[in-house]
Amino acid sequence: MSVLSRLLRSPEGAIGLALLSLLALMAIFAGVIFPDDPLSIVGPALVQPFTDASLPFGTDRLGRDVLAELVHGTRASLAVGIAAAVVALVIGSLVGTLAGFAGGLVDEALMRVVDAFQIVPSFLLALAFVSVAGASLPVVVLAIALGAWTAPARLARAEVLSIRERDYVAAARVIGMHPLEIALREVLPNALGPVLALSSVIVASSVLIEAALSFLGLSDPNIVTWGSMIAEGRNVLRSAPFLSIFPGIALMLTVLGVYLFSEGLAEALAKRRARA
Amino acid sequence: MSQFLLTRRALLQSTTMLAAATALPWKALAQSGGRLIVAADSEPKNLNPAIVASNGVFFVASKVVEPLAEASFDGKDGLAPRLATSWEGSADGLSVTFKLREGVTWHDGKPFTSADVAFSALNVWKPLQNLGRLVFANLEAVETPDEHTAIFKFSKPTPFQLIRNALPAVTAVVARHVYEGSADIAADPANAKLIGTGPFKFEEHRPGEYYRLAKNENYWGEGQPKLDEIVYRVLPDRAAAAGALEADEIQLAAFSQVPLADLDRISKVEGIKVYSTGYEGLTYQLVVEINHRRQELADLKVRQAIAHAIDKDFVVKTIFLGYAKPATGIIPENAPEFYDASVPTYAFDVAKANALLDEAGYPRGADGNRFSLKLLPAPYFAETKQFGDYLRQALAAVGIDAEIVNNDSAAHQKAVYTDHAFDLAIAPPVFRGDPAISTTILVRSGTPDGVPFSNQGGYKNEALDQLIDKANETVDVAARTELFRQFQKLVAEDLPLINVAEWGFITVARDSVKNVSNNPRWAVSNWADTELES
Amino acid sequence: MLLIVIAGTFFLLEAAPGDAVDAYLLSIGGGDPALVQSLRESYGLDQSVFARLWLYVTALFRLDLGWSVVFGRPILDVILERLPNTLWLMGSAVALSFGLGSALGIVSGARPGSATDRALSIGSLALYAVPSFWLGLVFSVVFAVQLRWFPTSGIETIASGKEGFARALDIAWHLVLPVAALGFIYLALFLRMMRAGMAEAWRQDFALAARAKGLRRHRIVVRHIARNALLPLVTMLGLQAATMLGGSVVIESVFAIPGFGRLAQEAVAGRDAPLLTGIIVVSAVLVILVNLAVDIAYGLLDPRVGAAEVPT
Repeated sequence: MSVLSRLLRSPEGAIGLALLSLLALMAIFAGVIFPDDPLSIVGPALVQPFTDASLPFGTDRLGRDVLAELVHGTRASLAVGIAAAVVALVIGSLVGTLAGFAGGLVDEALMRVVDAFQIVPSFLLALAFVSVAGASLPVVVLAIALGAWTAPARLARAEVLSIRERDYVAAARVIGMHPLEIALREVLPNALGPVLALSSVIVASSVLIEAALSFLGLSDPNIVTWGSMIAEGRNVLRSAPFLSIFPGIALMLTVLGVYLFSEGLAEALAKRRARA
Repeated sequence: MSQFLLTRRALLQSTTMLAAATALPWKALAQSGGRLIVAADSEPKNLNPAIVASNGVFFVASKVVEPLAEASFDGKDGLAPRLATSWEGSADGLSVTFKLREGVTWHDGKPFTSADVAFSALNVWKPLQNLGRLVFANLEAVETPDEHTAIFKFSKPTPFQLIRNALPAVTAVVARHVYEGSADIAADPANAKLIGTGPFKFEEHRPGEYYRLAKNENYWGEGQPKLDEIVYRVLPDRAAAAGALEADEIQLAAFSQVPLADLDRISKVEGIKVYSTGYEGLTYQLVVEINHRRQELADLKVRQAIAHAIDKDFVVKTIFLGYAKPATGIIPENAPEFYDASVPTYAFDVAKANALLDEAGYPRGADGNRFSLKLLPAPYFAETKQFGDYLRQALAAVGIDAEIVNNDSAAHQKAVYTDHAFDLAIAPPVFRGDPAISTTILVRSGTPDGVPFSNQGGYKNEALDQLIDKANETVDVAARTELFRQFQKLVAEDLPLINVAEWGFITVARDSVKNVSNNPRWAVSNWADTELES
Repeated sequence: MLLIVIAGTFFLLEAAPGDAVDAYLLSIGGGDPALVQSLRESYGLDQSVFARLWLYVTALFRLDLGWSVVFGRPILDVILERLPNTLWLMGSAVALSFGLGSALGIVSGARPGSATDRALSIGSLALYAVPSFWLGLVFSVVFAVQLRWFPTSGIETIASGKEGFARALDIAWHLVLPVAALGFIYLALFLRMMRAGMAEAWRQDFALAARAKGLRRHRIVVRHIARNALLPLVTMLGLQAATMLGGSVVIESVFAIPGFGRLAQEAVAGRDAPLLTGIIVVSAVLVILVNLAVDIAYGLLDPRVGAAEVPT
């Protein structure tokens, strides 16, 4: 039985996959459904939701279409989440593999850096970094990745340490491959499995960190994100609560989707492994 | 029932004990003015209003340290006496004579005299104060023929009109005996525990939590102050003030701490009142700053097009929700002495804006854009940021692609006023009663890099500079006023910057707070007559 | 390790556009160039960054964290003033999420796959997916403004003059909502780990043995399964310490609590490099201490280590 069908058989996995597919579709087709800039002003300010058929979710403080903002916000939130996870995984895996493989002083030095990053609250770090570098999408991604790469690094190193004495690595060394080449070609791919399992957690927390940063006013003003929508809506929390509730629910569903999906996936993989 | 009696008896007992313990007559307790709790959104580092003339400082410090005169709705020349009872300028513009109030004492009991005024002017306002350095630039000496007369002597003719208009903001008097001999007045520890003559004494500051001021029993104003205490509760988050007001945790939020969008709702909450007056003396202006180093923006037609692209009514109605006025020019309507409505104006007209841009030689490209700009909205107010969002859309409608750059305060200051790394910026300068205090600097050339709220757009107009310089030495009121009329016309014609709107802030208070917003600088005045009804 | 942290923070702020003087000038609404120059000199900003870093590090060995530009006071004082608030907030939130989380995890893991288990699992996951600031906002509107059960913001009733127990009670009262907002988020983490650990433990030999001995299910759950499953949770506590400290930043902002997080925001906004470095150094030390405590707790809990002391 394939992983996918196993995944679909667990309720968590099925719900998660459905949620994520829906969000992915929204993100991909945002430009088709709402071709205009979601930040453009299309109507009177603060139209209540479900009162105007052309503006089903109402408008915000400046008269922008909330539904268009939400749909385009999917794009930004997912992009930030995935990009931050990818950056964190790449940096983490590279550093971890290098440390595990090189050993000795290099290992010692790299792991001290990992320690240093791990004892600093990652949100404080991201906050300081974004305030300093100016809020733009790449900066936010980098700031989040800065706080997230240590876990993959540790994991990769542990995996490498357990793998590197195995036969195929020894064999590669015998045939005279450069240590770095061995690291990249043989060890890294084998250590990748567990590292990838971490990725969904990182994606979910990245989405949340991005939202928290936006909430504190540290987001790219040229694009819509859910966090910035909540931050804007907060000023009118009492008179127009829907402005914070819609993006809040969207955020929750996204993170929930990621978690459920990863849980289902882990279960499916575990079952497969158990059978094998 | 018996339980109720018991508690009431216990209560009575304890109150009598309390009254006896504090040795206060019962009547005094009953008449107590109470504690007014106010929201404060920032904690100024230096609280000395004689050194830092800013509204954030005045909001707290003006209750402790008083100026020579305060702004007034009905007083002569819009002023009401405080530490000075009269003021008069000489015809040659070389001296100003102040008669000072008698029988005033400092909070530490020492008498207030002309020596304090002389010391404040020469040792603090002129050398240290951000605005005073300009207003008192030519102050040479202060003569004190007696304890209650101070004569300011200027080396060059200085318009009395300017001095008079600046009195409320730049003349907070500090005590000579506190600061004399201090090596560095700006860093003196006394700035953290202010001594003044005001109706309230500075009691304590718990950083991040509150400031507490207590009644000055020996205040010169008869029967004043009415309140026992003012507590400023630090609520840096603007959205928090509305909730705290509704829960009656605070009684007053000034400076639009309650977001404009929430006013409509909160005005309907029972027991809460919204005041849109009391800020006439502190008019904020919404301004588009222009970097004239950009070749496109150096072209007057492009600047005119941008002015035509902005729908000021939309800005006033949607961003300020009606709590603002569209601006006609660089001098606000709230300054009737100088204001001239007959300047050239730029009506909202997208077609005309497009035509002007075509004329200027910037046709739309294949993507519909003529050129791209970097737009830096100042981060200090929600409204400046929202206007940034709006301006980006308004410019898109005429084919200008504006990219918003979001900076925090420090980075914005550096980018705009030091590095000039902007094409358009949005600023909220303040009109402080006279154009020469903080308005002409917005367009005068020759200000060095790094000075905030000044002309850093590389704009240079000889005629305008001459006009400004001439007004600075014109003593005659009518002639000086006329110069400023020409000044605002010239600015409106040449558009070194674009004035979009002017606004005052909003105060929201519980009904129990009386005498709110009864002068044009109310939030930063002394609140001696503010009352709390129980 | 700490040195890396210090140097990193210092250079980060050095790279930032604008310095402490820029930040200050804006807050006072302008000034002239001579004022700007004299301010830079008085802040020592005319020296090179290396000179300032060297001064900072040497002073640090004397436990002197330096002088805050933003507050005009010694940094140690400023930090010590704010630290208790954050510690209370964080400590209570950790206690809430750890206590309630593991308790619910035991309920959940006692019968894996049951309806209660599924409901708890999904419910807690939903909470975990909610941004903490959003939960805080909702709590504050519902419980503070509308129901008026709790205060909207702040750490204690201001200038109340309360002392001792009354004051502690007052602070606890103010902390209910922020602690709930922060603690509920992490609840799921502990609940799920506890549950997973228990599911694992059920399959292990000692559980089977206990069952074979005919011990009652209730007894097995509490004595054997839960205790074993608790171990990874303790480890998790150490790992999450840094995250939670970061998470309190946003909550402090929502509830206007003068704590560490808000201090960090003020330090960044005021470009106060020594202050930010001080905050980060102190929080790093804090995280190290928590991990130390976790190691000790681990030793006490682990049956292999602490079997002698714990009666069975």
